[in-house]
Amino acid sequence: MALRTWIRGESAPRGVEDTLAHADGLYNLARYLTQDPGEAEDLVQETYLRAVRGWHEFTPGTNLKAWLFRILRNAFVSRYRQAVRHPAPDLYDTTEPSPEEAATGEAPAPGGLGPDQLRRVLSGEIEAALRSLSDDARTVILLDVEGLTESETAMVVGCAVGTVKSRLNRARAALRAKLADYAEGDEP
Amino acid sequence: MNCEEVRTHLHDFVKRRLDPALRGGVGAHLGGCASCSRAEQTEHALDELVEQRLPRYAAPATLQRRLGLLVGRPAPARAAPRRWTRALAPAMAAALAVGLGGVLLQRGVSRSSEPASLASELVNDHLRVLASQHPIDIESGGGHQVKPWFEGKLDFAPVVPVPEGGELTLRGGSVGYVFDRKAAVLVYGLRLHVVTLLVFRADGLDWPKAGEAERGTAHLSERSARGFNVVLWRSGELAYALVSDVNPAELNEVAARLAVATAQPRGP
Repeated sequence: MALRTWIRGESAPRGVEDTLAHADGLYNLARYLTQDPGEAEDLVQETYLRAVRGWHEFTPGTNLKAWLFRILRNAFVSRYRQAVRHPAPDLYDTTEPSPEEAATGEAPAPGGLGPDQLRRVLSGEIEAALRSLSDDARTVILLDVEGLTESETAMVVGCAVGTVKSRLNRARAALRAKLADYAEGDEP
Repeated sequence: MNCEEVRTHLHDFVKRRLDPALRGGVGAHLGGCASCSRAEQTEHALDELVEQRLPRYAAPATLQRRLGLLVGRPAPARAAPRRWTRALAPAMAAALAVGLGGVLLQRGVSRSSEPASLASELVNDHLRVLASQHPIDIESGGGHQVKPWFEGKLDFAPVVPVPEGGELTLRGGSVGYVFDRKAAVLVYGLRLHVVTLLVFRADGLDWPKAGEAERGTAHLSERSARGFNVVLWRSGELAYALVSDVNPAELNEVAARLAVATAQPRGP
């Protein structure tokens, strides 16, 4: 249904109210992407407008949550990341392999904190570490936390499943490395 | 399978996303490789960290109401637009009109199914408490600290029951919404369970009749939705809803105690 038609007086498409169950997850991702509560609200609201407008494109029986995340991610890329007021932060871009890794095809060597140290990490530290990563790295980590499969995440971010797997591994390794930086900084 | 191959599959192994053959191969390698076994423990710890300690932000109530308008779900008449108006004002103004019209048109329909949707709404409110990293805006130092905090935030004075001498403890409170009306959200702890008591104006709501049982001075009505149990009662103009995953019998006992407290004359 076209937005214009919907606004003219017809009710929202049948079933679209199911999207409300995912509002918290969408807002959470929006908060971490935009880094601003007001911008996050704008982004989620735009996501819902796009979802209502494009509801006829949703295939019943498929993952509604993943569909909504894809809309939110596309809205963020088109509207926020390219905006002058929000240039993409050049932080810890962990989603692409280094030239050496690309040449050898090898995964990055494991590093960062071990299990016992990770269990002592505070809430504020993990949040700060995540915020220091690139948009794409933050996205794959948060979608993983939301329970999306790698194929669903691939649909959201628009890449191959294998790419998601390597992106996620790199992002998690970068997260541990960042936490290790904090831990070293705390040492006397 | 060598260490390098295993490391690329460790996260999926921990998440149980590997097919049986691959899972078996990784598992066999972990059994004989201390280094990879430690890496697997690290993956576990990192999962626990991001799933349990990473702050999770719940959609604010004002945003939830605006989204409700967008998808045609009954929404409050007092929804106040905020910053989003700068870019989406024209479309949203029209949507607001459509949404409010929808509320009026659907009133008769929604009332007939209101008991079921009420339980669902209350469970949603409880889930927001569970999901929020900051579910309470005022931490409890007792009822005398929590109740005054609501002054000026609600259009009624909620009774704040403070249980004593049992396992149920008042953790604090915040302001939320039940449908179109503000609610006092009181959060209690019962052992490891979170119990949410929502207090809101009862006027205009069709109150469930079936399943109602008289307990002391109150008529308690039990409902369940998505694995959570809900006990409802009224006292004067106010409605009370207790929501938790505690088993129905125990939640009913807790509700009976709280209902006695809420039926008492309000203090100064």
